[in-house]
Amino acid sequence: MGFGQPNTIGMTPSFDQNLPFRFIFIRKSNGIRPGELALPTFSDQEKSKDDHKEAFEADLEKHELPSWLSGLKPHKEHLGILQGLSCKMSENGHYSYSSVMGAFKSGRNSLSGIKRATADFELAKLSPSPFGHVELSLTGNYSSFRTGIVPGYSAPAAHQRNYCYADPQTAFDELFKSVVDPASVNSENRMLQFLESEEAYKVSAIQGYERLKLTNHISSIDAIRQRNREVAAHAELIQRHLPVLNPVHQDGGINASTPEKQEAMTDILIAALATRLTNVVTYTIDELSTPIRGLPGNESDRISIHELGHNGGYSGVPAEKIREKIRVGHIKQIAKIIEQLKQIPEGTGSMFDRTMIFYFPENGETHHSHGTEAPFIVLAGNASPINLAGRYLRLPYHATPEHKTLGNWYTTLLNAFGNPISHYGDLDLEMSRKKLTQIGPIHQLLT
Amino acid sequence: MTQNPIHGTITLRMPLLTAVMMLHLCFGMYYDAGLDAFATSPQFDILDKTDLTPPQQIQQRLDQHCGDCHRGTSFEGDFNLDQLTSGNTEEQLQTLAKMEEQLHLALMPPADSPRFPESARDEVMQWLHQKLDIHNASTLNGKLAQPEYGNYLDHQKLFSGEFTHLKGFTYDRRWLISEYIFDAKINELLNHRPFQTIDGTRQYVIGDNNRRAPITNPFLLPSRIGVRYYANETLNAGHLLTMMANAKEISAYMVELVKRDKRYLPAIDEFMRQQWEHQSTLSSRREFLTNHIERVLQEISGYDEGDWLPIFEPVNLSQPSAATADSVKKAAFHAANPGMQEMILIFHTMQHVQSSSRSDDELIEQCERRWFNFGDDARRIESRVTFLRQYLPEFREQIETHRYAQKYKQRPYQPLPDPEMHVIVQTIKKHRRKGDHFNEIIDACILDWDKEFEQQRQQSDRISEGQITKLTEQLFVKLHHRFPTQDEAKSYTPLIQGYLDSMTRIDAIEQVIQTIILRSEFVYRQEFGRGDSDQWGRTILDPRDASHAIAFALTDSAPDEELAAAASSGRLWTREDYRREVERILKNRNQYYVIDEAVQRLQLTASITNQPIRKLRFFREFFGYPSLLSIFKDNKRFGGHYDNSKGRLVGEADRLVEHILQSDENVLEKLLGSDAYYVYHSGDNEAMRTASERIKTIYDYFHPLNWQDFEKEDLLDHKDFLAEVKMRGVDVNNLSPGGRRNPIREFKTAMESFSLRFDKGQTAAAPYVSFPAHGPYNASTRTGLQLRSPEVAKFFNIHLDNWHYPSAQPAPVNNRRGMLSHPAWLIAHAKNTETDPISRGKWIREKLLAGTVPDLPVTVDAVIPEDHHRTLRQRLEAKTSETACWKCHQKMNPLGLPFEVFDDFGRFRTRESLEHPDNLISKGPDKAAPHVDLRDQYKTLPIDSSGYLEGTGDPNLDGPVEDALDLIDRLGQSDRVRQSIIRHAFRYFLGRNELLSDSKTLIDADRAYQDSGGSFDAVIVSLLTSDSFMFRKTLPSATGNTKSTQL
Repeated sequence: MGFGQPNTIGMTPSFDQNLPFRFIFIRKSNGIRPGELALPTFSDQEKSKDDHKEAFEADLEKHELPSWLSGLKPHKEHLGILQGLSCKMSENGHYSYSSVMGAFKSGRNSLSGIKRATADFELAKLSPSPFGHVELSLTGNYSSFRTGIVPGYSAPAAHQRNYCYADPQTAFDELFKSVVDPASVNSENRMLQFLESEEAYKVSAIQGYERLKLTNHISSIDAIRQRNREVAAHAELIQRHLPVLNPVHQDGGINASTPEKQEAMTDILIAALATRLTNVVTYTIDELSTPIRGLPGNESDRISIHELGHNGGYSGVPAEKIREKIRVGHIKQIAKIIEQLKQIPEGTGSMFDRTMIFYFPENGETHHSHGTEAPFIVLAGNASPINLAGRYLRLPYHATPEHKTLGNWYTTLLNAFGNPISHYGDLDLEMSRKKLTQIGPIHQLLT
Repeated sequence: MTQNPIHGTITLRMPLLTAVMMLHLCFGMYYDAGLDAFATSPQFDILDKTDLTPPQQIQQRLDQHCGDCHRGTSFEGDFNLDQLTSGNTEEQLQTLAKMEEQLHLALMPPADSPRFPESARDEVMQWLHQKLDIHNASTLNGKLAQPEYGNYLDHQKLFSGEFTHLKGFTYDRRWLISEYIFDAKINELLNHRPFQTIDGTRQYVIGDNNRRAPITNPFLLPSRIGVRYYANETLNAGHLLTMMANAKEISAYMVELVKRDKRYLPAIDEFMRQQWEHQSTLSSRREFLTNHIERVLQEISGYDEGDWLPIFEPVNLSQPSAATADSVKKAAFHAANPGMQEMILIFHTMQHVQSSSRSDDELIEQCERRWFNFGDDARRIESRVTFLRQYLPEFREQIETHRYAQKYKQRPYQPLPDPEMHVIVQTIKKHRRKGDHFNEIIDACILDWDKEFEQQRQQSDRISEGQITKLTEQLFVKLHHRFPTQDEAKSYTPLIQGYLDSMTRIDAIEQVIQTIILRSEFVYRQEFGRGDSDQWGRTILDPRDASHAIAFALTDSAPDEELAAAASSGRLWTREDYRREVERILKNRNQYYVIDEAVQRLQLTASITNQPIRKLRFFREFFGYPSLLSIFKDNKRFGGHYDNSKGRLVGEADRLVEHILQSDENVLEKLLGSDAYYVYHSGDNEAMRTASERIKTIYDYFHPLNWQDFEKEDLLDHKDFLAEVKMRGVDVNNLSPGGRRNPIREFKTAMESFSLRFDKGQTAAAPYVSFPAHGPYNASTRTGLQLRSPEVAKFFNIHLDNWHYPSAQPAPVNNRRGMLSHPAWLIAHAKNTETDPISRGKWIREKLLAGTVPDLPVTVDAVIPEDHHRTLRQRLEAKTSETACWKCHQKMNPLGLPFEVFDDFGRFRTRESLEHPDNLISKGPDKAAPHVDLRDQYKTLPIDSSGYLEGTGDPNLDGPVEDALDLIDRLGQSDRVRQSIIRHAFRYFLGRNELLSDSKTLIDADRAYQDSGGSFDAVIVSLLTSDSFMFRKTLPSATGNTKSTQL
């Protein structure tokens, strides 16, 4: 098992089987170049292997982290860096849309191309909660941020697209509605009650399969009312963990800077977990069209992430530096999530014990990716059954023996948390052509 | 339950409805006959009702026919009859359910064992039905209602003519809307009317769902091949949850539509009129003040900007370091500008301060001052100033190029009417404070007026009960296409009043809309009979419901005006009425539809038709070729860019089907037997001929001229010719290379590409682009976009560098016959990396021969073992030849294996490539021009394409077959194949499986096809004017249904 050191507030890790595991998927755009994850203190031999994409492993404890990851230094014992996965069975290039979390080709952003529930939704089934799954995003149209409720990238099932909260205020209003706007909840409940009685009146007159159609309608209404009741039962918890939003986020937050939006989304993400409204959050922290405003050192620039991918710089700052600053901002948010969750007691330990955070580029290794690399930064609480904490693990390169794909990685997660699926996701066709084995979990992460 | 008059004991009668349904489903019998049979069958004592142990007579039957294999310790097939006596109730019921299925589907006893005598089987079945019904534990009923079980009704009986006396009907039903109906409904509701330029004319298209409102479609149909839309589905909590989110978006959008045009829903306008008038006044005052506040203030005595405005504080921005700025690639203008709205604002400010600025620095400072005076957000000011400092020259160019001065004119100052000016001036005087920015003064005024307006509304703007009733009526009409009943109107009044009392008026209205959207009626189509029953207990379909049934049978939209008028004016009662409307819609070519948005999205493929969309969609679903889109395939194995070509392949398969449907002659024969296809073709013969001739003209002109040695200047000698033919990248008036364009390089690239298409003496060549380029070039799609993906030809074994391109298509292609040898069908029935003879054979067995193949037993390991020294056929035969496997595989393999003449990309072949690293002979290039085959070469083995046709019922056709083409030829001549397609058409258009009582309907449809010279329209007319479609029966125990008021 890859358990790290006792956490900072000295509680015993919580191994209570009745407590849920939590999963946070943070998608970023524009790739993470493999070299950006290389450890600066690699030995010559390690460096050579890393450069040549040969399999090897390094102990993070014995190495410095790349400077942009320094925000995770206090949490190094929970950190794992997974290199060498491939994602060629998902969409590559600029965007992966839903496909990177479902390991399928989606035909760009086609609804009919969504082949299956994405891995985060599969994990949500294993860790049920009133909301089941929450999706957040900070996306835009290059010059302004999207706001409100927008289509997301996760998929609850084949051909289905999830909803997503696109700005902090909307996420706040919708998630914590039962406390911040009980009148709205009451009116929704009144509507559902009316609909239920109306359908019940109709159903009294029919029989057989036709009756089933209406009774299903009624039970569907009832299921939503039940969910509302469950959410209402969390009122005290919500009150306790309700984040305080900066007024700059009101009305879509048109003047909020990107770091401010990220801060606020992080607060909401933490509160969504702390209130037990959900155990799974998928968060698109940026995509190519997300405007970057207010970045330290480039405060007054309106930066396009897409342009950074083409090496365009701003105010004399080169693209590479700005890309790094963006990543530093992301890592700051991750560190905050860890620190906050560690402060919340749960069982005999803290809430972080049973939490896993995945930070990864949605499209693979670079701006125009080919999918031969799909790096993951993983932060796992002490109770996680995934044996990656404290390790820099580079797996064999794409289409060589023992290579592992995104499908193997998701299979590993699902197997570890209770879904015995033999393989999740589509197979890699080059591996198939070369008749290389590629089914199943990554066993070295399950030991 | 009834009292047994003879024995005086209580006996159990099967609930009537269940009996009816079950007999229908299980035996395909007319239900009255079924009930009679049941009434005279043995009945079992009520005391047995929970006792699932078979009575002695049943026990004997089971022992005799099943006991040898399914009792004791060595039972077969994971099924043991001993469970009936030893298991718990759940196990007993599972055993009974399995028995019911196996006996009904005639899967047991096996073919090589003695058969059950008919009477004994019926006896056992009756007992099973009764026991399972008591516990509601039958799994058979649900299965038999599914499309994949439709063929379990005996084909010969159905078409024998023996049952044509049975009267066709469908039960009253609610039918969950499909994904297509949902989209059309939402588009109509939200006034989303997308247009496309088709064949040069702007056309309204249905099915382009790129709406502004983010609505999620929860009613997606299953992705199976075959009929996908059945009336069996029910809404679940997932649907409803999505619909709740949708309802919020829809309601907000609908209210916005009323704001734009009150005719959309006048009742909402009445509710909101005063408030919106106030908002409009506020917004016009704000706009006026934002544009002219300086002028207004100047005209107010005693206001001096210097005294009243705060002291200017410039933003503190660090300048980029000159050292790094020069070495760093500067982001392009489009990637650094602050967005259109901001640029317009900056432009207006620049116009405003232009006259007082002598230099760029001064201009920027003046702009900044103005934004400061207004009190704009400091971050925005910083961003604007940064933009101007770094991109002013580019911005000026943009202003010039995009004619900002004309497009974004500012209104000149024009004082408002006196009373309005008076109000404004007085309020400004009231609120202006020294040190205020302009925006603070404006905001204070707006707040003041807003409060005043609200007070006015509280005093005068009351909602009456009449207005509530009107709102309910209009919303019902808008959302349900009917008026509310009296009861409904009555129940909605207090509900709406409650909403109004507890929330803002706008929120209350949106909540009412949401409530009506979430009613079951919004998501279920209703099909109920109306009026008096005939002598067979049937009623004719309610005309309003009939209008929807006809409209949704042929299109995805609600009835058009003519059809709705026919329903409301009493002209939709008779068969002739139905025929008139169905024929009218079938003939309509004025409406365009998007066939498939997924295809449209791939490589700009035009996916449009003006055939009634559901007619074309039937064949898409029946053949299932669009399923190839979800099959992930290897570019290397394709030998080109597969992902780029697959959309075109499906689009051209659609075009072929559409072409055959358009002629409407011998439709089925052509679909199965024609050797003509579309390959890299837009569907417009004339346009393709022109495009192809154009490149030949260029080739012919330059071919003798030693163009390979041309220098840039040589092009000038051919100025007139080049000006006429317009080669991309070759502008004879400007031959200097600029940016990515190098005229001589692009000329030679094009000529090289044309030469490889003509040098072998080709008479015509495919007009594809010679190098990557945006925009239409050489040839266009019917929607005016660049015709892409010539590599689609590779699926047909066509070499782009040796192809006498036929401009007029569909044109013959060697070694092909109809849709079953179209690469799209072949890929859809293949796996990622190899062919799939099983699914190809299963499709023919089920779709063309009306046959059945049992479900794959869960215990079967359905993987064909790898062996790179043998062909797939050899490996498959080794795996499936065992007796237990062959029982089912004999129904599929002999029909699927002849298709081994096509690989998993649908390419014709005589040898199979043994793709394994050990068999590699040579590696192909990884990247090259479209005509190059990128495939690696492996050792091969010859194909064995022999097979066997059994199941047409025609001894002249059944028998050994040589290969797929031989098989297809025979299938094309079979009556049974034609009838089987008509059975599937019945299921598609009626949304259910056929019963014996539909025998006449099917025979009539078959006859209509033959009598009309193979018109598929005739089949549709016949089906939609049949008793099965027009007549309904009320479920026997039902006491009523929600009848709607006619519009």
